[in-house]
Amino acid sequence: MAISFTINGARRSFNGDEEMPLLWHLREEAGLKGTKFGCGIGQCGACTVHLDGDAVRSCSVPMSSLDGASITTIEGLAEGDDLHPVQEAWIEEDVPQCGYCQAGQIMATVAFLKDTPNPTDDDINNGITNLCRCGTYYRIRKAIKRAAENMQTA
Amino acid sequence: MTNLSRRSFLKTSTAAATLTIALSNTPHLIAQATQGGHVTPCLRVDESGNITVCVPIPDMGQGMITTAAQMIAEELSVNLDDVNVELMPFIGHTNDQGRAEFGRFYQGAGGSGSTARIWYEMRRTAAYAKTLLLETAARQWRVPRASLEARNGEIIETYGTRKASYAAFVSDANGKAHEIFTNGVETKPVSKFRVIGKDQRNVEARKIVTGDPIFGLDADVPDMLHAVIKRCPYLNGTMVSYDDTAAKAVPGVRGTMAISRSSSDGAQRTIAAGVAVIADSLWQAKKAAELLDIQWDGSISVDDSSTTIHSKCIAQTKDGSSVRTAVQTGDIDAAFEQATNTIDVTYDHPTWAHTCLEPHSCIAHVDNDKVEIWVSHQFMDSAINAAAGALNISADNVKANFYRMGTGFGRKAEGDFVIEACIIAKEFDAPIKVTWSREDEMEQDYPNHMGAYRVRAATDEQGKLSAWHIRTALDTGNSTIARLFPSDNAPNVLAEGARIPNNISRGAWRGPSHNTGAWVIQSALSEAAYSAGLDPLDFMTALYNDAGTLKSPTWPYHDVDYRRHSILLRKAAKEAGYGKEMPDGWGQGIAVHHTFVSACAHVVDLEMIGDNDYRVHKVTSAIDCGLAVNPLGIRAQVESGIMDGLCAAKYGKLVFEAGVPITNNFDTYQKMRIDEAPPIVNIHIMDFGDTEPRGTGEVSLPPIIPALTNAIFAASGKRIRSLPISENL
Ligand code: FES
Ligand code: FES
Repeated sequence: MAISFTINGARRSFNGDEEMPLLWHLREEAGLKGTKFGCGIGQCGACTVHLDGDAVRSCSVPMSSLDGASITTIEGLAEGDDLHPVQEAWIEEDVPQCGYCQAGQIMATVAFLKDTPNPTDDDINNGITNLCRCGTYYRIRKAIKRAAENMQTA
Repeated sequence: MTNLSRRSFLKTSTAAATLTIALSNTPHLIAQATQGGHVTPCLRVDESGNITVCVPIPDMGQGMITTAAQMIAEELSVNLDDVNVELMPFIGHTNDQGRAEFGRFYQGAGGSGSTARIWYEMRRTAAYAKTLLLETAARQWRVPRASLEARNGEIIETYGTRKASYAAFVSDANGKAHEIFTNGVETKPVSKFRVIGKDQRNVEARKIVTGDPIFGLDADVPDMLHAVIKRCPYLNGTMVSYDDTAAKAVPGVRGTMAISRSSSDGAQRTIAAGVAVIADSLWQAKKAAELLDIQWDGSISVDDSSTTIHSKCIAQTKDGSSVRTAVQTGDIDAAFEQATNTIDVTYDHPTWAHTCLEPHSCIAHVDNDKVEIWVSHQFMDSAINAAAGALNISADNVKANFYRMGTGFGRKAEGDFVIEACIIAKEFDAPIKVTWSREDEMEQDYPNHMGAYRVRAATDEQGKLSAWHIRTALDTGNSTIARLFPSDNAPNVLAEGARIPNNISRGAWRGPSHNTGAWVIQSALSEAAYSAGLDPLDFMTALYNDAGTLKSPTWPYHDVDYRRHSILLRKAAKEAGYGKEMPDGWGQGIAVHHTFVSACAHVVDLEMIGDNDYRVHKVTSAIDCGLAVNPLGIRAQVESGIMDGLCAAKYGKLVFEAGVPITNNFDTYQKMRIDEAPPIVNIHIMDFGDTEPRGTGEVSLPPIIPALTNAIFAASGKRIRSLPISENL
């Protein structure tokens, strides 16, 4: 039985190895390379995507669990040329260094701000656990706050 | 062992199966061959008039693509918001030995020297491109050259009405001028800079935040196959035999292939022993690789455990039985006898893994005596030479496509991931992509050195440093740390070092030697200050004020004027309010260090959390990196070095047990996250009137560790002499 789900609004179905994590499907089969591999064991967050609106680490989500799911990746976050306010804030605060972790950071932040639209430093400390090997945390914190502000006034 | 005659088997099996690779959106290559539309290698204009600025040095997060683009934009009069920026291909040459060498552009990222190394050539070449466009326009419009100016990608008649995009003149200007200029072209004086010296955001930020496939691991090429390699877990181990029956039964598997360790004598590893599984998809290759049954021989390194190596280092700091002298000046024994105060302390630290967030990968396609590779790598020449060497061909026959790196830290300067892809691809009719896992990246690392240090320091009745004795016991042979300040300066010095041999192949880890050397030396100087009853800031500013200038042998490394260190210390201290009253359990620590090209001072403000933990609340920094090309990027690098240093000092510990690295992913190798990152970082970029940039990428890391441990001492009275801090507080 094929597993069917949507990625960034497009219907897809999957017939392969159901043990395979979603990350491999995204990068190797769906051609969506924006979601990154960092550890494969749910520790780093580089592979963060939205599953029915929640942030999940796609390296740890097997394909078998995805029937009927709606998945959003970094490629599906902007509306055409209009970036999501979190993406905008990331550019404005000049967050990315190498950039490798940032798709995951942004996806984690978008989901986080839905539940915590006006985060304190403690909220950020507890809510954002993605690894950035370049150490952009100082700017990530500023960008989260800027995005939160922009989204409230929008 | 079921190793069939390799070549015949693999070629046959490749031909027999049908290709069923699900190809993803093949990313456009960042670096296209130099071809039509170029006016000098730094400017390309396509048929629709789109301008692309091409930079020579790969980016791993250090921001070179942005910094170099600023240099070009300055001289070429383009607005970076309106142009594309991309990485140039390799434009060096092949030498008599058939190996690639840089041409006039340096095309590597290391030693914090990239900005300085291209400073003149990059701007002259861009200025020359602009001159050509102006001359071409003057000819076409039949007007004097002096009546035209170049602005924002257009040629404009200053007092007339005509204007046209650079694109209108490219075909005429093209071809004459594929040149890089070292001399003879005038560039703007510092006073006229409009782009250089201004904050410029990462020019690839939009691609990054929208998930464009710009990293090496994102590369796909049509018809490629995937390889996953099970590598020998033992340091310098070998493969005895393997059974691939189960692996081969996995659908999509095309074959397996044994790879021998080199060098074979147990010296520094070039590539690890391993068995590769080649399959249609990455998932198939990974699953099948797990099913390989491999017998390894790890006997060579069974004695190499972290604890054993550590004990050997400590023993050597005590008895010094195999030390060699690096520096000896004055009379150290007399100086200690006459000293008013002395310290005699021992420091030690484990080794650190690179943990490049983007694990390594390389695609190679071998076609007879030629190869094409797709890779993210710090050094274009090394990557090309790794491929040429692996296949025993000339660098002329290597075509290399380079990508953005998801961090490098020195690890992506190595050749192993390129060599493996090439030797596998040689056996196949298809391009082969070798993808590393996190475990591969950590087990097969070329980590930082591990070591112990004994430092004796003496001060006289004025509280000045009168003698310095440093004995290093490292698992590298190098004496850099022993030679660092104040060994170059103190009146009576004995600097010596012992090498503790083992099977770990070490490599460059951000700020090599300096990354731990600064911790040892700045901590010991702080201890010497306290022993003399002085505040470390007063002791150190006096020390550096008296120290004069250290001559530097080669450009772009400048002489080190140690008085600038005093100014950096004072600036950081002033901005941080160093010495102010703090609540119980709070403390401030200060340190300064010169790494390769530039110097940086930090003050750390922290609060103890119980007896065994702490939070860094603020870091205040002053950096001297010469002329600041991109202040926003410099601050990013200082922030990055701060986080990297705080993290390595607190948690960094790659553990070996009987020759096997056992901390091989982020569950066992801990990293700092945002909750432990200082929420306030104030960075001051000093202006000493320099007219050349110096470099930034590694500079802020080494001094942050002693600033941190000095702050822990101020807050808790505990002197951290062993890393990681998390296990020693
Ligand atoms: S790759 Fe999924 S959490 Fe690291
Ligand atoms: S920006 Fe490089 S890992 Fe986060």
